[in-house]
Amino acid sequence: MRRAWRTVFWKELRDAMRDRRTAIMVLVASILTGPVTLVLVANFVSGLEEKAAILKVRMRGQENAPALVNFLQRNDVEIENAPADYEERIRAGKLDAVIVVPDDFQEHWLAGDGARVEIVFDDSRTDSGPATRQAERLLRAFNQESGMLRMIARGVSPDLGTPVKVEHVSTATPRQKGAFLLFLIPMFALLSPLLGGMTIAIDSTAGERERGSLEPLLANPVGAGEIVLGKWLAAWTFASGVALLTLTGFALAASLYAQQKLAALMTFGAPELARFFAMVVPFAAMTSALQMLICTYGRSYREAQTYVSYLATAVSFVPVVVIFSGLKDAAWELAVPVLGQQAVLSRVVRGDAFTLADWAVPTAVALAIACACVVLVARLLREERIVFGRS
Amino acid sequence: MIAAEGLAKRFGDVQAVRDVSFGAPDGRITALLGPNGAGKTTTLRIISTLVVPTHGRALVDGHDVSADPLAVRARIGMLSDARGLYARLTARENIAYYGRLRGLGEAALEASIARLADLLDMKALLDRRTDGFSQGERMKVAIARTLVHDPANVILDEPGNGLDVMTTRNLREVIRALRDAGKCVLFSSHVMQEVSALCDEIVIVAHGAVAAHGTAEELLAASGRASLEDAFVHYSGGAAPQ
Repeated sequence: MRRAWRTVFWKELRDAMRDRRTAIMVLVASILTGPVTLVLVANFVSGLEEKAAILKVRMRGQENAPALVNFLQRNDVEIENAPADYEERIRAGKLDAVIVVPDDFQEHWLAGDGARVEIVFDDSRTDSGPATRQAERLLRAFNQESGMLRMIARGVSPDLGTPVKVEHVSTATPRQKGAFLLFLIPMFALLSPLLGGMTIAIDSTAGERERGSLEPLLANPVGAGEIVLGKWLAAWTFASGVALLTLTGFALAASLYAQQKLAALMTFGAPELARFFAMVVPFAAMTSALQMLICTYGRSYREAQTYVSYLATAVSFVPVVVIFSGLKDAAWELAVPVLGQQAVLSRVVRGDAFTLADWAVPTAVALAIACACVVLVARLLREERIVFGRS
Repeated sequence: MIAAEGLAKRFGDVQAVRDVSFGAPDGRITALLGPNGAGKTTTLRIISTLVVPTHGRALVDGHDVSADPLAVRARIGMLSDARGLYARLTARENIAYYGRLRGLGEAALEASIARLADLLDMKALLDRRTDGFSQGERMKVAIARTLVHDPANVILDEPGNGLDVMTTRNLREVIRALRDAGKCVLFSSHVMQEVSALCDEIVIVAHGAVAAHGTAEELLAASGRASLEDAFVHYSGGAAPQ
């Protein structure tokens, strides 16, 4: 005789697959999540680089400062002539910053007695900040270069002018710089099993109650535990399947960007994918069991949907909490559901070490919670208020 | 064979069943007749092991419902008040699901579904999904699902509810066929016509207790009334049947 849990398992899978609209929605969503996210991130990253790469200043009275113009041209800066009504335009927010060179600039410049240029900008507009700082930086560099040349011409070491040299040394590797973008992949990895397990979790608990099929089902000569086991395995299968599709989508999309700047920020190839799978499949066991537990209290599909959305909100809050609380990686985190997975997965994305404990502790906790939930659901299904309490 | 001995069930403050004892032998149709709220459904749920009695015990073919629920469930087919089907599955798949849960092999399952489709006149329905089914068609699937393992004891809770005349007639024929096959048939009803048209034995339940038990003739003779309806009113303490 076939074990009853297998009968339940296959029935739930078949039933869920027959729900074409939901199944297609879930499949499409999970396949597209990765590529769409990465395209957006890639555009964002390359957009940042473009902005930084094009150095451009607007000037008024370039003809008055040939030395400055020469300096800017040597540094590949594009110079644009500012229109005569530049002040109004700045006030209107149509121009960011304009370098204004007065008519007597060259005279003072040659004499070396305080040649003056103005940067005109609107302080109340934050978006003019980058252009203003760029103009400032270029003028400072010009100042430094000219001063240095003049000192050398007089036989003075230019180091006298800059007694302290400041150098920037960042400890972040290029991959870690991209990690703020890539907290997205762990988040999707943790949310996708919730999406995938939802349909079966709801339909096999609150759905059975609403439909009036729970009572006849439980009248079969099969223990409630075995019925719940079959349902849970079906929900887990779907949850894992959707998570795997989502993550594979990310990996495929990442491979398309392998040659580009994005690849310098992160690696999401086969080894990372395997680690994600190893973390997410047991996590899905927990989420689908939890979903079933809370849905068992739902008398109708809709009521259960509400409960499930609370769970999804709670899970999606965790990464946010981590970002804003400035939580540092700590050992106890591993034992906290969601938090542990989040910590380990972001370490994987950053390319940090991945130890056996990193996998074993969150996984053991997730599986323990899953088992507890399955036992609780089986117990609830023996309670008269659940079996007969219909809407 | 079903035997109830001093069954009682309390839900919180509500004493749903006080004292119900009766026997339902094989090859007979036994009806629990009583007004709404008399405790019929609770009694049937106790017998089908879904509700644990506060007092008393029930036996199905000698198996105690509390001590050995799985053995009892294997020996009964229960058509409960809840008759939900899986709308995305076909009628055949709905029936087969229950057949497999009751341990039928694939060959036996196929034979059983063919036999029931014949009995219930539902061959044309078998491979359609149940979501567009009429009330009567759903009922047929629910009955087939109940009987798929050919149980020796058949329990039907208010089987006539919401059915049209033709389906009700069909149902009666099925119930008689089950009796003629030697099954113990136990059903509950508050509809006098249904009971008088079908039953071999009548158990009148009122206020959670058995008020009278016997064949229709015995009940008439004992109550001294001219009609079964009057006898029912007499025994159920004035609560008239519909």
